[in-house]
Amino acid sequence: MSPGPEPPAEDQTAVGGVHIKYLVHCPRQLWLYARGYRPEQRSDLVAFGEVVDDTTFTRRRDVDLGEAKIDWVTTGAVIHETKSSRAPAPGHTAQVRHYCLLLERRGVNVRGGVVHYPLIRRTTDVVWDDGARTEAEDTEAKAQTVIAASTAPDRLLRSKCRGCSYLDYCWGD
Amino acid sequence: MPAVGRTYWLTEPCRIRREDNSVRVERPDGSPVRIPITDIRDLVVFDHVDINTSALSLLSRNGVTVHILDHYGNHAGHFSPAESMSSAATVRRQVEISADDEQRLAISRSLVLATAENIRWALDTDLLDPALEALRNALPACRTNDAIMGQEGNFRRTAWAVLDSRLPPWLRMNGRTRRPPTNAGNAFISYLNALVYARLLTALRSTPLHPAIGFLHADTDRRRNTLALDLAEPFKPLFAERLLRRAASQKHLKESDFETDVGRASLSKNGRKKIAALVREELSTTVHHRGLKRQVSYEELMHLEALKVVRLCLEGTPYKPFRPWW
Repeated sequence: MSPGPEPPAEDQTAVGGVHIKYLVHCPRQLWLYARGYRPEQRSDLVAFGEVVDDTTFTRRRDVDLGEAKIDWVTTGAVIHETKSSRAPAPGHTAQVRHYCLLLERRGVNVRGGVVHYPLIRRTTDVVWDDGARTEAEDTEAKAQTVIAASTAPDRLLRSKCRGCSYLDYCWGD
Repeated sequence: MPAVGRTYWLTEPCRIRREDNSVRVERPDGSPVRIPITDIRDLVVFDHVDINTSALSLLSRNGVTVHILDHYGNHAGHFSPAESMSSAATVRRQVEISADDEQRLAISRSLVLATAENIRWALDTDLLDPALEALRNALPACRTNDAIMGQEGNFRRTAWAVLDSRLPPWLRMNGRTRRPPTNAGNAFISYLNALVYARLLTALRSTPLHPAIGFLHADTDRRRNTLALDLAEPFKPLFAERLLRRAASQKHLKESDFETDVGRASLSKNGRKKIAALVREELSTTVHHRGLKRQVSYEELMHLEALKVVRLCLEGTPYKPFRPWW
């Protein structure tokens, strides 16, 4: 997932998939992203992720919701997301849950979600029920709190920052 | 994260064409070079280059900056892609900080002091210590940017005299002259300063900062990118003074690399090529960065410098200008 060329909306808190992914990994990253500092363009890893997304499941097409871009949706409303990662992470499922929430708000009857990891040829299922719904709503509220904060959250431990495109910004002094 | 793409230096006359979604550089000796667009971060143009709008729009779409240097090596202009890195929050704070006298002066002072210390580091001499001490004592009393620049000028004059004493007679500057540089030494310094400025501009382009809102240089005279000029200051000694010393001591430069006229000097074609190669090598020199725990090139140091200013704007972390730590 990349932010793409959509204009950064800084005064409205429309929470997209990337926001949720960042929140789960590192609130600071979300805070910076929301303020329009987005160094992902310069990152090899992000570029790699885009290529993986472009070259796998090529018969599917994106569903663009404005604030979020879902990789694809199959009948029965199952939401699919491709990740270039080699290990499932809590951020990935949270992102898919958020998509479920967004679609449901638009009146779609969502059944669940799947995260695809083409590099290791695995998938993980994301269930969608009342528990997941409250979790998704909590996460969204948390994201909005972080975005609205006036000061940036602290850095994580240095070892957790490996591969982050914000690393130069956070640790470059 | 290493940056995507590289800098390409066009030192010969050539033609830049678009071929499908890729770039073809046609050289006068016939053989075209095809470069994948994703591999280009920016182009530095030293010589006559033909380019058309379809190539430019391709470059713009992929966020490539084109820097154009004129015959004397001054920055003649640049083509930059449409803003994709915009952040209103950052620019707003940048304007506030540069409008607030106290904060602006504090940043100016630290920039000037860091530059002076970097010059001392580049010349590697204790002859400059008294001048540096005088500068340190004089800066806190300066209440305007002009006064700060004046103090810097005093230090610079001393520094250039010291530098001159280590150069062969034909390369001596005998006082700094610009627009146009009057002799070989000045032509060299002007040329490298323009290059450093162009690199800083590129670095700023990949941040949300506005390159024209700066702290130290006057933003009233020419329409210049003040912030790029400001941030270039601490890096100039690392390139200009240092490489001039090195080129002189290694006898790398010859008098034939310059075209000297009455009252003006510029680099000859060969000289330009030589220096481009020298700078390219220098930019890719790496040092170990303790915070990032990896090797960073001098080029990346400039990018990190721009990020420090972004941090200053977004989070209010005090800005400490670049000092070589190696």
